[in-house]
Amino acid sequence: MGVAEEYTESPADSRFERGLQYLWKHRQAYLLIAPAAIFLLSVVGWPILETFRLSFYESPSDSTIETYVGFQHYVEIFQSDIFYQLLWQTGRWVLVGVAGKALLGLLIAVHLKGDIKGRKFFRTAFLIPWGIPYAISAVVFRWIEHPQYGYLNAILIKLGVIDQGIGILGNPEIAWLGVVVADIWIGTPFMAIIFLAGLQSIPEELYEAAAIDGAEKWEQFRYITIPQLKSVILIATLLSTIWTFVSFDTIWTMTGGGPINTTSTLVIWIYQVGLQNGNLGRGAAYSVVGFLFLLVFAVIYLRIYTSGGDEL
Amino acid sequence: MLEAIGAGGLIAISGCMGDGGDGGDGGDGGDGGDGGDGGDGGDGGDDQQTIQFLTMGVGDNIAEFFEENNAAFEEEYGVTMDFTSVTWDNAQQTVNNRVDGGEAPDVARWPARWIPQLVGKEALVPITDMMEGEFGDQFYQGMADGCTYQGEYYAAPWAASNKCFYYNKDVFEAAGLDPENPQLDTWDDMLSAAQTITEETDTPALGLAGADAIETGSQYYHYHWSHGADLIDDEGQPVVNSDEGVEALSFYSDLHLEHGVTQSSPLSSTRQDIRQLFESGSLGMVIAHVYTGINIDDSDADFDYGIAQVPEGPAGRYSLNTIDGISIFAQTEVEDLARDLLRFYFDEDRHFEYASSKGFMPTVEAVGERDYFQDSENWAPFIEAGQYARARPKLSNFNEFNNRMVQAIQEALGDQKSPQQALDDAQADLEELMQ
Repeated sequence: MGVAEEYTESPADSRFERGLQYLWKHRQAYLLIAPAAIFLLSVVGWPILETFRLSFYESPSDSTIETYVGFQHYVEIFQSDIFYQLLWQTGRWVLVGVAGKALLGLLIAVHLKGDIKGRKFFRTAFLIPWGIPYAISAVVFRWIEHPQYGYLNAILIKLGVIDQGIGILGNPEIAWLGVVVADIWIGTPFMAIIFLAGLQSIPEELYEAAAIDGAEKWEQFRYITIPQLKSVILIATLLSTIWTFVSFDTIWTMTGGGPINTTSTLVIWIYQVGLQNGNLGRGAAYSVVGFLFLLVFAVIYLRIYTSGGDEL
Repeated sequence: MLEAIGAGGLIAISGCMGDGGDGGDGGDGGDGGDGGDGGDGGDGGDDQQTIQFLTMGVGDNIAEFFEENNAAFEEEYGVTMDFTSVTWDNAQQTVNNRVDGGEAPDVARWPARWIPQLVGKEALVPITDMMEGEFGDQFYQGMADGCTYQGEYYAAPWAASNKCFYYNKDVFEAAGLDPENPQLDTWDDMLSAAQTITEETDTPALGLAGADAIETGSQYYHYHWSHGADLIDDEGQPVVNSDEGVEALSFYSDLHLEHGVTQSSPLSSTRQDIRQLFESGSLGMVIAHVYTGINIDDSDADFDYGIAQVPEGPAGRYSLNTIDGISIFAQTEVEDLARDLLRFYFDEDRHFEYASSKGFMPTVEAVGERDYFQDSENWAPFIEAGQYARARPKLSNFNEFNNRMVQAIQEALGDQKSPQQALDDAQADLEELMQ
């Protein structure tokens, strides 16, 4: 080995050795997380890589043959009208759904924090929607909104608001609202519980001091509660955004994405294209696009979140 | 930044995990149970062979039949039966997943129109030798032919269904129509009766399917075909936007938009919804299977009903016919046993019990000729409908084809597009699809 080689290899060896020393020092921690890491890599990492690979192939369900098509699926997706319709509908679904869940959750949490009678009962009761399988909740809402048998129509007819049942889920203009209401009902308890935990961690002294200084309830909420809850709100809405973006059960059970695809989202479309129509390659390409959207959103969101110095 | 990307990636992945889990649950509830059962059977069965039998839509009315007969097969052949039923919604995905994952069942009962798709994957065993021998002679030839593809038999016809036209006699009477002579021979007759019912009663006159579901196509095709339109031509190319097709879709959508004789909101109604509406006595007329009548007879519903043939259009009368086949999968290691299972279930008495309990047309000729089917008021119209029977085209990508047609139906029914525009757009998309 020459001098020059010794000179160039030395720092690398040193880094390598330092790395080994670090691993050895923390071996117990790495051994403990290894099973979970291996499990995640096998059940999450591999399917994601396989989805990326499949998106470059034509893979019809009636054949064992896969044909390499390069970026053809992506080009066709970005040139299609349905993609932009799906983007708009997915954005609308996520925005309204998350906003509804966050606002209702906050409202419930604030009231549950107060000293009201039956507080324990209400805390438990508000968890029920979250504990029911989504598909069952969706079936219940489908029946509530049923044009012939639904409670909603029956009540509106009794009140004289309408003459005959309205098919909310069959109306292309408002069907998405019928589904988003169910989603908000299902997802609100999570928000309420997270917000409640956050509210309970705010020191009472802050409110007492503000009250002595003459701050009204709204001002206390505006200048104490909201800033103190900032980190909780951000992480809860981030999680809710991801879950709402990928939610499948509620929409599929209530409308199947119809009528005329007006309640369809990217996730519903992926299922229809890839699994129902058997076009696995195209479905995989839609999945990759959806994945990238979510990734970009998460990165931007976390950048905003961490810009204030907070850490996860 | 890298930290943020890493965290973002993980969160995004966790989101995708949630999605995958959801879809998987929805699609393969039966699979999970099946896999577990199979494992148990293998472990505890000594050298006993296990045969996996997958079927679809086993409801309460037929569960006992399978329990008893599977037990009888196990005893007679000294084997373990691994029996799974999945819902129709999940059926095709379940079969595809199991085939793709190398976990195909040994035997499955399923719609014969799926044959081309699985033949393309070389997933089925041809049973031409059986079907061209004594075993095959027992079936109605037309139904047996429905199980062929590229000159080979890939299934034995397990069951068949035709559609007829039900009407509620009480509603007819209330509307001043003659329930014993309902005058429902043509679509125009049907419209006339529906208008009278709408004017004279509060009951919705006609059930119209329009939801985002496979069966919406099934209901509509009666109108499409009887107006002289077709779905594909002899070369397998789409021809959905012919003048006749536009006429049919115009008639279909006008029933709701112009004449207002349907239940409210057809766009949110599946075929099952309108069938259940009729079975509860809350609908005047509907196209349905034989089991609608059986369900009404078995329920507490307090109304009388009649069954007519599906109305005739300008180009004739059609009754949508579906054949379910029972197939042996190429991945099986117990092919002989699988063939025995087919012979076992097509025992004449056993087939009679199945068809009469489930409400499907028998496929075995000797069973169909029994008095039970020939003399029954419920069954006779459906036997007669056999002469008008027409199946959906056997395309490997029929689901995608059908989904696009359902979209066109919805666009017309929802007044989003004219029938001409809806079918023109569908034709353009289908041409691309069929390339």
